[in-house]
Amino acid sequence: MSKNFILISSWFLATLIAIVIVGVWMTVGGSRQLLLVGQTTDAHHQIEVACETCHKAPIFSGPAVAVKAMNKACRTCHEDELAKSDDSHPRKKFRNPRMAQFWDKLDARLCTTCHTEHRPEITRESAVTVATNFCIACHSEGDQDVRLIRTSHADLSFDTCASSGCHNYHDNRVLYSDFLVKHAQTDWLTQKPVHELTRQARLTYKSEEERLMHHDAQAPSAALFNPAILRDWADSAHAINAINCTSCHAPAIANGSDSAGVETVWEDKPSQKICADCHKFEQNTFRKGRHGMRQHPKIANPRDIDGKLNSYGLAHITPSFIKEWFSDPAVPMYMTVAEARLPMRSEAADLSVGCGSCHDPHSVNVAYAAVDACLTCHDDMHSEAYRKSPHYTLWLAEVAGEASLGTGVSCATCHMAKVERRGNLVTDHNQNDILRPNEKMIRPVCLDCHGLKFALDSLADDELIKRNFRGRADVHVESIEWALLREREKQDD
Amino acid sequence: MKRRFNILGISALSLMFTITMDVSAEGLSHEQVADMLYLVISADRAVYTQKVVQRLTEEEKVITASEYFDDDAALPLPAQMFRFGSEYVSDLTEEFSYSLVSLDPINKKNGPVTDLEREGLEFVADNPEENFYGEEKLGGLWYFAAVYADIAVAEACASCHNNHQDSPRSDIEVGDVMGGVVIRIPID
Repeated sequence: MSKNFILISSWFLATLIAIVIVGVWMTVGGSRQLLLVGQTTDAHHQIEVACETCHKAPIFSGPAVAVKAMNKACRTCHEDELAKSDDSHPRKKFRNPRMAQFWDKLDARLCTTCHTEHRPEITRESAVTVATNFCIACHSEGDQDVRLIRTSHADLSFDTCASSGCHNYHDNRVLYSDFLVKHAQTDWLTQKPVHELTRQARLTYKSEEERLMHHDAQAPSAALFNPAILRDWADSAHAINAINCTSCHAPAIANGSDSAGVETVWEDKPSQKICADCHKFEQNTFRKGRHGMRQHPKIANPRDIDGKLNSYGLAHITPSFIKEWFSDPAVPMYMTVAEARLPMRSEAADLSVGCGSCHDPHSVNVAYAAVDACLTCHDDMHSEAYRKSPHYTLWLAEVAGEASLGTGVSCATCHMAKVERRGNLVTDHNQNDILRPNEKMIRPVCLDCHGLKFALDSLADDELIKRNFRGRADVHVESIEWALLREREKQDD
Repeated sequence: MKRRFNILGISALSLMFTITMDVSAEGLSHEQVADMLYLVISADRAVYTQKVVQRLTEEEKVITASEYFDDDAALPLPAQMFRFGSEYVSDLTEEFSYSLVSLDPINKKNGPVTDLEREGLEFVADNPEENFYGEEKLGGLWYFAAVYADIAVAEACASCHNNHQDSPRSDIEVGDVMGGVVIRIPID
């Protein structure tokens, strides 16, 4: 047997084995991270082992079917967010055949036209992969030519349209002309700079009615001998709101469905589900944000290797180690700090993000959760600068009781805003609801204390954001002046 | 309340699908199907304009109607209501579509974008009592298209179009043709 024959045979055999392994990974089960064609975008990287979350079409589907299924997957998770943003370019607007002339230029019926996964070399913030001058596709000709219908836009280039403070593709709730004109004359600081919903929430938190005291604690005697925990609980919002120990540690006792002794049903470390029983909105929004997206209900489950083997009649003869090798890895329930792509503190690398990471279960100290918990992990320039910012000074004054409720500005004031839902004040735990693009923050947060012009300029100044708003913006956005100019032009006509 | 609206909306859409699919299968022409769709669309619009907007804003004066109805806690304008319905349908089906377009649109994107739209709008502007029918190829598919005159049915329509800062016209009177409703049905 010649050496060449052995080499060729070995090469052929190795190739065959590789093809079989890849084939099994693709069609049956097994980790496919080796097959990733390019780095997954930020946030999506947390769920990249669950390929079927986005790649919903059956394998070997044609491109049209695959793209359609993938775009449906985008909408499954992001539809609510787009609806909330009063999307300026909703898919439904472009499905009408009269828009066909634009389909070849920029197919706005598909999310993937502008957001292509696994293309790190062209991916910008918010997973945008389309060219920066994409507006040119539809707004540069005929009656739609913005350079002709807006005199202020005559000399602008199309790569500046989507600049901060000017336009966003989806969310323009603070950027449309009428809103700009209505808020044109506002001062940099409002007469009463208080974040109203936060003020109301803190007022509720301070309520002392029907509160529980140390001696009301319902717990096994061993637990009652932990004075630190007991003290934390008795001072907490839970005790103030009559939430006893059993509510979390022995819910069957608390809701009266079990009359056995508290010791028999007591759980020392209740799961996150217990928190969600009362804090549903918080859990739902947590799962949609970057902290908790690994728990999003729409993430695909691992493929059913046993079911597949059964269908091939191979289940009983397949060794368990092979099954294990060809089993899909499940998406872990929690993300660790080390997996984050933003700058994080190295000493926090092993921490994971669940309810208890920010909210101590006994003290449920929201002041800690609103600032200290964030700064335990986040180590970017904006976070680093917070404790030197005027917002932090205000926060310290409020926490010390030296300033009115709602005047302090914590991390959570801007990144986990209070919202009103069915008459209750709750905390939106999906940071992205008011974060990217950052003008999303203006309505629910900034305008309670600041004028629109000041807010637009500040949020357009990257250096000021890095300094956590210490100082004034060096950038000026002309949106308001241009909207006023247009008003005057129309009146002159 | 929202659920009730959805149920009613879906029922109305189901009726429209039935018209476009089952009735045409029994031998009705595309023209007849489009005419029937137009009746439903225009009836809903007229009722909203007269019984909701006109009554509540002009007669009872309990609420205003505004382009920025969210911010102003106001009623959506009839034209916006029409477009929401049109987009709602577009989201659910490709069996038919409808649009509100004009030769003098307030929003430029609602101007004619195809030769047929322009021809149809000019025809109904000159002949408000008649409809315009034709066929055109869009995005690689052939469509039957019908254009119907869109007439200012209430004072609110005329005044809003005359006073809007982006409107190219300020001389519209009740009864005037402001534009047209275009209905498209894909041809096999």
